[in-house]
Amino acid sequence: MAGSLQSVKRRINSTKKTQQITNAMQMVSTVKLNQIQRHTASYQVYAAKIRSVITHLAKSHLLDSISVSSSSKKSDDPMSSLGMLQQRPVKKVGIVVITSDRGLVGSYNSTVLKQTMTLIDNVSKADNKKDDIVILAIGSTGADFFKQRGFNIGYEYQGVNDVPKFKEVRPIVQAIVTMFTSGAFDKLYVCYNHFVNTLTSEFRAEQMLPITAENVGDLENDGLEEAKEGQIAPAYDAEPSQNAILEVVLPQYAESLVYGAILDAKTSEHASSSTAMKSASDNADDIISTLQLQYNRARQSAITTEITEITGAQAALE
Amino acid sequence: MSDKPELTVSVVTPDGEVYENKTTLAICKTAEGELGIMPNHTPVLASLAIDEVRVKTGEDQYDEIAIGGGFLEFSNNVLSIVASAAERKENIDTSRAERARDRAKERIEKAQNEHDVKELKRAEISLKRALNRIKISGH
Repeated sequence: MAGSLQSVKRRINSTKKTQQITNAMQMVSTVKLNQIQRHTASYQVYAAKIRSVITHLAKSHLLDSISVSSSSKKSDDPMSSLGMLQQRPVKKVGIVVITSDRGLVGSYNSTVLKQTMTLIDNVSKADNKKDDIVILAIGSTGADFFKQRGFNIGYEYQGVNDVPKFKEVRPIVQAIVTMFTSGAFDKLYVCYNHFVNTLTSEFRAEQMLPITAENVGDLENDGLEEAKEGQIAPAYDAEPSQNAILEVVLPQYAESLVYGAILDAKTSEHASSSTAMKSASDNADDIISTLQLQYNRARQSAITTEITEITGAQAALE
Repeated sequence: MSDKPELTVSVVTPDGEVYENKTTLAICKTAEGELGIMPNHTPVLASLAIDEVRVKTGEDQYDEIAIGGGFLEFSNNVLSIVASAAERKENIDTSRAERARDRAKERIEKAQNEHDVKELKRAEISLKRALNRIKISGH
């Protein structure tokens, strides 16, 4: 009996230690979650500004006229932001998959990967779909997953900070946009987990490039609602010209979209990591209480046996 | 100062608001030249050059902010400067800016050797940003 007593005790101790670790990890995730949420709040101000300007430009139907003219003349300058408006026949589809670099984040990665596979099935019906898809992986889990399945990895980035700064993300965005303008793919989706609240996150796949009148049109509706709440959108003077402003605003818009997606994904990563660690700690609690019961029983039975032995011995002496 | 009309300047970047103040005059460099904005200016949109924005804080006193490209939007006496990067003069880390300048120069050289037009353009923009920061911090 003593042996089992010892082993139960040992298991309790080790579970307790694991629980300490998961507790600590949960706290770290929660802190990071708070940090990134604060950061996201300040980013939202910036995003809202860009959105309102884009909405304004979209309202003046500038986007439509430009997308028509640029697709007809096939702008040769790849750095020109107007390339982002270019709609080409879709031969290849780029998919940015944002996953985490490390594990212990619950179902975070598997959700993204599973849903992305569904998206790939929908996007390309052809048998050789692997040729039509270019995967741009942010985060090692996604990169490994798609590499193993023999997909074409066009871009890979690992080690995004826990609270990514814009400066860090910028090269990623630029690389992606350059790939689009140079024709590595004709349509770009960004797949990530959108943070709803600490307990839930929801998969999102957004088409980000080319920037079309339709996907700005969605914004327009949002913008209109905002405008109703606030003042009527003023008629702006444009300096030097609306086209020139578009040249500046569009790349910033695209950058802010991708940055927003990465921030959102990271937020949800921290949230699910925090939730996963919380449930791990709770499970550890359950295990400990079961083991404690087992331990107490074992100890009690040991005591009982001892007493029986003593009384038995005494009875034999008398 | 208090009874004069004022406008609010706010400089926002993806990493948050860098600067916010009330002023009677803000001078921005646009791609076409300088643009001074005073209260009750008509609503305007303008693209900004990689340069500085000066915000008047008193007689001959200006707050200077280095802008790494972006645009401005002015309406209802609120001037929003939406930049991908911005730093106040006091916060500029000169040694970091100098390192960035050297890096950009190396990249330009490399791009020229390899005839990489895109990379060259990008490196030139980085160099401009770095030089702009150095210039403003040296005022």
